[in-house]
This record gives sequence, C-alpha cells and structure tokens, in this order.
Amino acid sequence: MSEVILEDVSVSFDGVPALRDVSLSVSDGEFFTLVGPSGCGKTTTLRTVAGFEEPDTGTVEIGGVDVAGVPPEDRNVGIVFQNYALFPHMSVRENVAYGLRYRDPPGDVDDDERVDNLLELVDMAGMGERDPEELSGGQQQRIALARALAPGPEVLLLDEPLSALDARLRERLRVVIRDLQQELGITTIYVTHDQAEALAISDRVAVMHDGRVEQIGRPEAIYREPASRFVAEFVGDNNLLEGAVVSTDPPQVRLAGGGDEQATTIAVDSLPSENERVTLSIRPEDVRLGDASAPITLSATVDTVEFLGDAYRVHCRWDDQSVLVKYTGDAAPEGTVTLGIDPEAVTVVGGEGS
Amino acid sequence: MMSRWVERAALPVGVLATLATLAVVFYYPVATVLAEAVLDAGSPTLGPLLDVLSDPFYTGVAHHLFVDPLGVPAGLLDWIARGFPDVRLGLFGFTAYQAALSTVASVVLGLPGAYVLSRYDFRGRRTLRALTIVPFVLPSIMVAVGFVAMFGRTGLLNDVLTGLGLGRVELLYTLEAIIVAHAFYNAPLVTRLVTTAWESVDRRQVESARAMGASPLSAFRDVVLPAILPSLLTAALLTFVFTFMSFPIVLALGDLRLATVEVWVFARVQALDLSEAATLATLETVLSLALTYLYLRYEARQRSTSGAGQSLPRKSLTVGWQTLRSPTRLAIFAYGVVAVVVFVGPLLSLLVESVTAPDGSFTTAYYEFLLAQQASTAVGTTRPLPAIVNSIVYGVGTLALAVPMGVVVAILATRGGRGSRLAEAILTAPLAVSGIVVGLGLLQTMVFGTVLFGYRLTAAGPIAIVAAHAAAAYPFVTRNVAPALGGLDSRYRDAARSLGATRLRALLEIELPLIGAAVLAGAAFAFAISVGEFDSTVLLAEGVDSYTMPVALERYVNNRSLGPNLGPATAMGTVLLLVTGLSFVAIDRLGGRWEP
Repeated sequence: MSEVILEDVSVSFDGVPALRDVSLSVSDGEFFTLVGPSGCGKTTTLRTVAGFEEPDTGTVEIGGVDVAGVPPEDRNVGIVFQNYALFPHMSVRENVAYGLRYRDPPGDVDDDERVDNLLELVDMAGMGERDPEELSGGQQQRIALARALAPGPEVLLLDEPLSALDARLRERLRVVIRDLQQELGITTIYVTHDQAEALAISDRVAVMHDGRVEQIGRPEAIYREPASRFVAEFVGDNNLLEGAVVSTDPPQVRLAGGGDEQATTIAVDSLPSENERVTLSIRPEDVRLGDASAPITLSATVDTVEFLGDAYRVHCRWDDQSVLVKYTGDAAPEGTVTLGIDPEAVTVVGGEGS
Repeated sequence: MMSRWVERAALPVGVLATLATLAVVFYYPVATVLAEAVLDAGSPTLGPLLDVLSDPFYTGVAHHLFVDPLGVPAGLLDWIARGFPDVRLGLFGFTAYQAALSTVASVVLGLPGAYVLSRYDFRGRRTLRALTIVPFVLPSIMVAVGFVAMFGRTGLLNDVLTGLGLGRVELLYTLEAIIVAHAFYNAPLVTRLVTTAWESVDRRQVESARAMGASPLSAFRDVVLPAILPSLLTAALLTFVFTFMSFPIVLALGDLRLATVEVWVFARVQALDLSEAATLATLETVLSLALTYLYLRYEARQRSTSGAGQSLPRKSLTVGWQTLRSPTRLAIFAYGVVAVVVFVGPLLSLLVESVTAPDGSFTTAYYEFLLAQQASTAVGTTRPLPAIVNSIVYGVGTLALAVPMGVVVAILATRGGRGSRLAEAILTAPLAVSGIVVGLGLLQTMVFGTVLFGYRLTAAGPIAIVAAHAAAAYPFVTRNVAPALGGLDSRYRDAARSLGATRLRALLEIELPLIGAAVLAGAAFAFAISVGEFDSTVLLAEGVDSYTMPVALERYVNNRSLGPNLGPATAMGTVLLLVTGLSFVAIDRLGGRWEP
C-alpha cells in the first residue's frame, strides 16, 4: 500500500507562508492532480512529499510511514520535472540506470535488462546510446519518466511534465502518461496549472489557491459543483452573476440586476452565509442563445463573437454584466438576443464579494 | 547503511573543516596581528595606534587631526591663504595617492580596451578577451622584474634607444614606473568588467531609443552609459583596494622613498620591530576592509538580471584601405601599440634581457649562473631547482586544500539565506587583508608557535606557506565555482536525490562534472596564485630552505654580490614564466576532457 497522506501541512520560505494547513490523502494507485495558478503552492506540496522541503508543522505519510526528517534519497519516490533535468553528461541509458545503483537490495533482473524494459515501456527502445540533447522534447519527457520509474518507486511525482511542449504534443502525451499509470497501477501525484489537463486525466483533483486547498473531488464534481468562487472561475469557462437571496428556508435565490431583475426563483441546496447577495455560477454551455421558452430568459446584446470551429464563443452583455455563451448554431449571432437558462444549471458559489 | 551515514556527514564535516582551516591559517593569525596593535601586556590600549596616527611621517598633514584637532580649521584657513602649497602626505597619504593615480591610469588604459572588445570585430577578439585574465595571475615579482628589464638603465628600452643613437632615459624608481606597473595588473580588470557589462546591453534598447528620436550620442548617454557605469565604478574601487595594498611592485620598482604602507610593514618586520608593523598592518587592514565593504555594498545593488537579449552589433575593425581614413580606427591602432608596449613589453624584455649581456650581445651567462648556484655547496645559497620544486609542491598542496575549501564555500554561498551571507563574509575577508598581514600573523602563530594547554605547537615553514597560499587562493576557486553552481538548474540535484543519491553523491556525480570547466578554472587560478604568491611567502620562507621561485627571484634581484646586474633575476623570471605558463597549459589540456 503506498498511499500519501498530508495532514495540516504548512511550509514557509523565510517567514513567507507557501502552504497553509494543507490536508489531502491520495489512495494507493490513484492518479491525483494538484492544479492552480502559479504561486498557489502546488509545486511546494509536491516538493514537500519528495522531501525537498520540510514542513513547519503537520505530517507527511508515505505508505503509512511518517517521513519527517527522511531525506529525499530515502523516500522511494520518483519525480519528473518540467524541464526533465536529464543529466546532460550521461547517455540516455546512463540516465535511466542512474537510480539503479542506489537500489537496496539490488533488483532481481540485471540492470541492463531493466533499462531495456523501461525504454520499451516508454516506446524509446534502441535509443539508449543517444545523448539527451539529441532527443526532441517529447522524447526527453519519456526518458525522464523511464528514469523516475527505474528504481521502482512507491509514488510517482510529476511536476508540470508537459508544460514545455506544444499544445498538440501535450494532449497526446497526457494520454500516454495516464495509460502508463494505469498499466503500472502506481500512486501518482501530478502538478499542472492547466485545468483542462487536470480534468482530462485525473481520478481526483485538488484545486489550490494561495497556499490552501480550495476543493478536492472527482473532475466532474469540481467542474459542476465548484465549492468556491475561485474554483468556479479557475476551472473551465464560467459566468459569475449577481444573485439575491429570496428565502433561506427553503433556500431560494434569483438573478439580480440593476433595472432588469429576474423574478424567477431558483431552488438551491444551501446558502453559503446569511448574506442577502450571493454569486451564481452558470456554465456557458448551459446558456441557450435564442431559447425564449426557458424558465429564465435574459434579453442581452452581443458584444464580441469568437469562432472556435465546433461552436461560437459569444460575449454578451446583460444588465451591465458580461455573459459568456457557447453557441453551436450555423452563423454568428448579432444584435439583441434572448438567453435561456434552466434553474438546475445555476450554482451558488459563495457570498457576494467572497 | 554505514556508507550513507558517512556520505551525509561529509558535507557538514567539510564546512567545519573549512572554517577550522580558515580559523587556523587566516582568522587567528590575522587577529593576533590586530590584537598586538591594541593590546599592551594584555590590557587594551590605543597608545600605539595614536602614536602612528599623530606621527607626521605616517599621516602627513593629517596628523594635526590627532595632535591638535581644534587647530585644524585655523590651519586650513592658513593653507588657503597661502595659496594651497604642497602638503606633506605621509606614508598613508602617499599610499592612497599612488593608489588613486594607479586607478586613473588603469581606467584610462583599460576603458578603450573594453570599447574595442565590445564594439569591434576582428580576428583573435575572443582570444584577446580571454587573455585579459592573465595579468591578474602573473607573479607580481616577475612582472616587476620584467618592468625593470624593460625600463631599467640597461633595459630593453634603453638598449633600443642607444641603438638608435638617442640618449638613455631613467624611468625606474619613479612613481610613474609604479603606476604603469599597477596599470599592467588592473587595466585588464577594468577591460574585463566593462566589456561584460557593455556586451550585456540589449541592442533593442538602443534601437528603441533611436526609434524614439535619440541621436547616437544621446542613446549612448541614456542607455549604454547607465549600464556600463556601475561596472566601471566596481572595477575602479577594486583597483584602488588592490593598489593600496600593493607590495612586490612597489618593493621592486620604488625604493623606500616611494614606500607604501605595505612595504613599510615589511621593512619593520625585517627590522624585527613587530609591534610597530602590527600597528601599521591594523590601520591598513581597517582601511582596506572599509573599502571592500563599500565595494560589496555597491556590487550587491548592481547585480543585474539581464543577460537575455542580443548584444550590440560589432563593427569590423579593418575595412580595407578605408581603415586608414577612419580616425577612430587609427586611434584604436595607436591604442593597440600602447597596449602592446605595456603588456607584452615587460614579458618580452624579461626573455630578451635574460640572454643579453650589458653590452647588448647574446649571452648564456645568466643561465650558467643559475646552474652554478645549483651546484654550489655553500650554506645559504638560493638554488633554482629547489625553488622550482618547492613552488610546484606548494602549488599542488594549495590545490588539494583550496579546491575543496572553495567548493564548500561555493555551496554555502549558493544556498541562499543566512549561510549565503556568512559565506560571502568569510569569502571576502581574505581579499581585503594583505598578504603581508597574513604572513606576519602566520609567522607569529605557526612558525614561532602557539601555546595551547601548556604545549607549544609549531608548524614548519612549508606547512605554513601552503596554508597561507590556500587562504589566498580559495576565494578564486569559490569565485569560479559559485556562479556556475548557482547557474546550474537545481533540479539536476533534486532529480539525482530522488533517484537515491545522497547530497554528497549528487554533488560529486552530477553537479561538479557539469561545472567541471569552472572547477578546473578555479584550480588553475589556485595553482597560479600559489606559484606566484610572494607577500606572505617571503616572510615565511625567511632563513628557511622553503623558498619558492618568486622568493628566489627577489633574492637574486637584491643580491648585492651580483652587482647591479639584473641578469640572473631575468633568467629566474623566465623560468618562472615558463613554469607558470606550462602549468596553465597542462590544466587547460586536462580540462579539455570535460568540456562539452
């Protein structure tokens, strides 16, 4: 069993807090992703698991063992960095074999065979004698993965492994990583700033912001039921509109706006606070342009239209608030339009201004 | 695992060993010198310091400040009323005066070089840029002899002048000679620092300024000048510190009339007046530490983050026949002639004079003299072969000590935080304390012995010499290794550690091989510093058969039994030049293996 458990972990650099009371638990064989904007603490979390940072408070457990004070070389984790950090003075084979010399006790198959197997696993068989510089970015990424896996780590840590690659390669390689992880069944913590990547390949996702974990959940839950305004804004395209509380029991809200208020009440699961004003989140694909028969209709004007190929991304203006709509019609809309919304598509994401 | 435990302990032990070594060979000896100046039989006293400060011989006109502070305003008014007559500078005043003049000369000689190297393209530009580091590591006593060989009464210059039917000139034992010799050392430093800054100016910044309507001159003033001025000031400040503490140059090219503080300290030590030497050394050290502190403060503020971007385009130096019609290019060639005379002249003179008799004919007499010295059985003879062997042995000893020390301090310096500032401080102190002071301290603590728990501990001359050399050399290792280590992606180390390597193994197997060139460059420096070190060696090798090539050289220069003939010294200087040059080539060849 190689689960990873962080409990109330805080890390600071020169007195500046980088992680504040981070708690999360990654179960055996799980693909767990930390996602958030730069500076949110996701890489620090990863480095704390790897042993490169020591927590000020809190505990880190790997495979049921508290690893406080255990140096990185004894933690049995494999790590892949954004720039791969392949040792330039060693061949591909020497890179992959580097961790084997410290394996204790020595493995059952001989090292050469193990390296060959790993190169085959990442689809790089026969490249062993090359120098890392001779390889493309994607190939280097595969070698870095093979090198991290060579000593047979309990946990695989991936620190933005794809962000140095171009968009198309990134999408292809993330599937390779996911397939490999499934095949090996290795507990994996993946760090990325790309929320789409996080949703695409993870079993569970933790959204981080300002050194804290904002929400942990399956990708679908993160997308559909954002727990905070930050998560609603960070994950996917979204509309955040002003709402007013109609009643607290049962919890009901309505869309609020200066002169054009919507009387339709929307039943919600719960209200975040006693505030009269709340923020409502509505995904662009849940706003139907031209649907006048929907329970909630807004009369808006079209500002800007982006053509995406499979749809239009329409920036509308309703009551001085910007509303983003995903529209799959044949032609770009213009002028005044009606926007239809189902009450079920509306989520409360927090009190006004929170 | 046992070995892991050892590996983990290695780095902390290395840090402690480095600190302990520095304490023994640098901090404690220097402290004893400083303590001697302010302690009288164990109780603190300002007496010796005040004696020096109020003695017009040392402080010149400034002694009034300590003797009669209240009379200073009246004295100043009187001085102005009498129309600013010349004032007596005193030893400290003269030392600062010659340092200031040397700084101006170094800037004047070095700045055009930076302009040419950064703005013009020509064959050998890169080589020339690399060569600017060489004068800095040349043994100063050898350079001094080279200057004597060039400008002396029977030197190359006078040989040429007589050959042309012109009279002889007397340039030696003048302030000018000392200043030119200082420029030989420090102008390349100015060139090097300013060239680096000039090359890091992003051409797009200049182009933007021009596009916004600035003339080439205003673009230079607004964009280029602010970028190179800090490096120029840094170079000037360093030059001032170095020339303030200059020793062998002044010793060989001036006489006691042109003595600086450092030379006077040496003279006091030879006269066995250690207490006055200590007082003078203390004042000198305080002054140079203050200047070095200024330099560090300034340098810390100037650290630029740029480096990306394209440098300014370089013009071609030669443009066919048109070259002769370009005043700038003609001026550059004139500058080139001056530079060749100043930089190549002394070394060439050394070689030529070592095979030239006073009447100008070819002779091998000086080398035969060296052989005769070697064969002599008389006690106290300075033999060339032991000098060469000693120099190489001490050089290797210095390498063995200075390279690990320098690497350890580099690790501390690049780690950031408190350790980094501590390392910076440890690192800078030896730069600001003159070799004479270190040598004097080592003489008192190691050679004469230190009483510890009732036992008198002494270290023989050679050990003290290697220790002093290591203290002088390790900052150069650190200065080479720290930037390379700091510039190396820390994820290489992290990757190695997550793969199971201890911190020590990551250092030895990944980091050091990746910055091998910098480590070797540092080692080459350390070796060259050791081979050329004179200031503390001359004190520690007194009366012991542990003299090195530079010390032997100095003894030949001062050997009155040889008459005014510089021949043997030039022959020894040529040998020193060859050994220094060969060791550089050897290390360079070794280093070739690690170069990517």
